[in-house]
Amino acid sequence: MYQYTAFDQRFVEERVQQYRDQTRRFLGGELSDEAFQQLRLRNGLYIQRLAPMLRIAVPYGTLTATQLRALAAIARDFDKGYGHLSTRQNMQINWPELEAVPDILARLAEVQMHCIQTSGSCIRNVTTDQFAGVAADETVDARPYCEIIRQWSTYHPEFDWLPRKFKIAVNGARTDRAATHVHDIGIQIRLGEDGTPRFDFLVGGGLGRTPVVGKLIREGLAEKDLLTYLEAILRVYNRYGRRDNKYKARIKILVRALTPEKFRELVDAEWENLRDGPTQLPGSEVIRIRDHFKAPPYEKLPDEGALLASQRLRNPAFNAWMQHNVSPHIRPGYAIVTLSTKATGVPPGDVTDEQMDAVAAWSERFGFGEIRISHEQNLVLPDVPQRELTTLFDLACNEMLGQANAGLLTDVVCCPGGDFCALANAKSIPIAEAIQRRFDDYDYLHDLGPIDLNISGCMNACGHHHVGHIGILGVDKRGEEFYQVSIGGNQADDASLGQILGPAFSRAEIPSVIERILDVFVERRDDGEIFLQTVRRIGVEPFKQRVYSDAPAVRVRSSRPKTVATRIRSAGTSPVSRARKTARAG
Amino acid sequence: MLVKAPQNRLDPPAIVPDSWTLVEEGPARPGLIAPFEAWLESPDGAGVWVAGDAEVEEVEAHLSEAPVIAVRFPAFADGRGLTFGKLLRTRYGYDGELRAFGEIVPDLTEYMVRCGFDAFVLANRRQAEAAIACIQRMSDHYQGSVRQPLPPYRRVAEQP
Repeated sequence: MYQYTAFDQRFVEERVQQYRDQTRRFLGGELSDEAFQQLRLRNGLYIQRLAPMLRIAVPYGTLTATQLRALAAIARDFDKGYGHLSTRQNMQINWPELEAVPDILARLAEVQMHCIQTSGSCIRNVTTDQFAGVAADETVDARPYCEIIRQWSTYHPEFDWLPRKFKIAVNGARTDRAATHVHDIGIQIRLGEDGTPRFDFLVGGGLGRTPVVGKLIREGLAEKDLLTYLEAILRVYNRYGRRDNKYKARIKILVRALTPEKFRELVDAEWENLRDGPTQLPGSEVIRIRDHFKAPPYEKLPDEGALLASQRLRNPAFNAWMQHNVSPHIRPGYAIVTLSTKATGVPPGDVTDEQMDAVAAWSERFGFGEIRISHEQNLVLPDVPQRELTTLFDLACNEMLGQANAGLLTDVVCCPGGDFCALANAKSIPIAEAIQRRFDDYDYLHDLGPIDLNISGCMNACGHHHVGHIGILGVDKRGEEFYQVSIGGNQADDASLGQILGPAFSRAEIPSVIERILDVFVERRDDGEIFLQTVRRIGVEPFKQRVYSDAPAVRVRSSRPKTVATRIRSAGTSPVSRARKTARAG
Repeated sequence: MLVKAPQNRLDPPAIVPDSWTLVEEGPARPGLIAPFEAWLESPDGAGVWVAGDAEVEEVEAHLSEAPVIAVRFPAFADGRGLTFGKLLRTRYGYDGELRAFGEIVPDLTEYMVRCGFDAFVLANRRQAEAAIACIQRMSDHYQGSVRQPLPPYRRVAEQP
C-alpha cells in the first residue's frame, strides 16, 4: 500500500485549508454559485436531488483497514450510516452538510485520504484491476504506475480545466478487469521482449451518450515515457477538445472527428517536444513508488486444495461461494475473496458503517489490513489464507456480505439513479431489486453462469449499461420512466457495446423481459457456452422476437436441487439489514 | 485591479498600479494592449492581447518582442489559455509580462502562475487579495512548473 510521505501529507493538509477557505468565501458571498460549483465539483461535492453527495477518492480502489474504519466513522457521523461504492472504485456518502465538508476533509487527511478531482472536468481517480498485485494472471503490478499517474494528475497546472471529465484506467493482468477499452485513456501494461514493462495506449473509449471502444494509438511505450506521453495526449485534448457542447466534449468525440490516425499524429508531434523534457520518469522514481507496494509478509502455506474440496462437498452454500467469489492468488495457500454487496433489497454497492467496520476487522484477521473496491461495486479481501475461507464465509453471511453471486445475474452493477441523482431520467435501484427478487433461485442463477447485468438511470451511463451482457437504460418518455434493454455488451478484453432490442419497457415489465431473454439463452446455448457467447453466436434477433412476442414467459428451470438458496436467504434477516432499514427510514 | 506574481519568486505577489490600458479594438498605440491584428500593424510601444484558444504556433514568432502579452480566458473553467501560456514560455522562450484577463476567478491564478503567467486582472480589490492568498496557499506541487521545471522526484534524484 502506498504510504504518504511528508510531502503528500502536507499537500492534503494544505488542500483542506484551501477548501475551507473556498467554502467560507462562498458562504460569505465572495464566490458566485457558478464559481463555487466548479470548485466544489473538483472536490467531489454534488448537490443532489435530496441533499449533497460527497465522493471520496479511493485511489485505484485500494484501502487500509484504518482508512475503511475512518470511512465507517464518517458515514456514521455525517451520513445516515452507510456509504456507496461507485463504479469507479470510489466511495460516496449522501447527506453531508455543505458547511461540514471541510471537517470531513480534515478527517480524511488524518488517514491519508482526500476528495481531490473526484468530479469536475479534470483527470479523475485512476482505476485498475481490483486484484492488482495478487492476481494469479498478472503480468505487471499496475498499482505503482497508478500511484505515479495519481501524483502526476493531482492539481496538474495545465490539465485541471479540461473540456470535460477525463478517466484513465490501467490493467496489468492477462484478463482486463479494469475496463480499459471504455475509458478516455486505457493503458495495458505487459512485459516486453527485453523483460521491461511496456505500455499500450487506448484512447477515446467511453460510455455515456456516445459509447465508443477505445482506439489503440501507441504500442510498447517505455516506462520513462509514460508521463510525457500522457502529457502529449492531454495537451492535444485540452487545446482541441470541444467546449461548446458538453455532450460532444469528451476526447472520444475529438478522436472520431480527427480520425484516430490524425489524432495520433498530433500526439506524436507534441510528444517529440516533450519526451526528453523534465517530466520524463526516471527509474529511481518508479523504484521509490514500487517500494510501497512490496509483497506483505506472506507465510509459507501449503495449498489447501484437499481440505477445501471436502469443505465444499459438505457445504453446498460454501461451494457456490468458492465457485463465484473466490479467485486464485499469486501465492500458494492464499485466495482472493470478493465480498458481494448485492443482497436482494439492498441498493447495489451500499455498505453500512457496521459492515465497513466488520470488513476492516476481517482484513486484519484474514490478511494484512488491506481492502479493495471493485468497479463492480463489491469489496475484496486480497490475501485470505485458504484454510480460513470457511470461517470468513460464515462471518460474511452474518453481515449480508456472503452472497455467492459475484459475476452472476444478481451481481447487478447499478448507479444511484432517480432515487438520489439529479441527472437521472429514471430510477435504477428498484429495477435491480425487482430483478434480484424475480431471480432468487441460486441453482438457476448458477446454471445460467456469468452474466453482467448493468443498469443506468440515464444516458450518462454511470451503471455502464452499454458494456453489460444485459444492459438496462432508464429513459424519460413524456414524464414517465421507461427502460431500454440491450444485450451483447462486454467490458473485458474483447470489449463490445450492447445492441438495443427495440422499444423501451415499463418498469413492471422488466423482470419478465429479462426472463424471456434468459429463456432464449437456456434453449439455444451450446454446451459450456456463457450468455455472451450465445448472443454473439446467434445474434440479437431470436431474443428480439421472444421479448416482443405476446406469448407468456416460461422459465426453463434447472433440475438441480435447491439447497443453496435456502442458506443464503436466511442471511436476509440479519441485524444489519434491520439496522439499515431503520437508518433509511430516518 | 492588477496583481503581479513575478516568476522569479523573489518578490511576493502584490497589487500594483496598472500602466496599461486594454482596448477591444485597434489601432494600437504606446500604452495600449491591442488585439493581435491591430498590434501587428503598429507594434511599437504597445502590448498585445490574444484569445486563450489562439494557435500559439501561428502567433508566437511575432510576439517575442511584445512587452506584454495578455491572454483572454473566456470562461472560468476554460483551460486552453493555460496551455497557451505554458507553450509560449517553455517552447518559444517569451520572457516579457504574461497577463491573464477575462473570467479570472482568484482560485485559478495558482494554476496560471505555474503555467508562466505573472500578471492577473481581477475584478476588484477583494478578488485581488483572494488571488494573492490563492497563489501562496500550496507550498509545492507534484509537477514541475514554468519557474521550477523539474517535478519533485527529479529534484531529489538529480541532486549531487
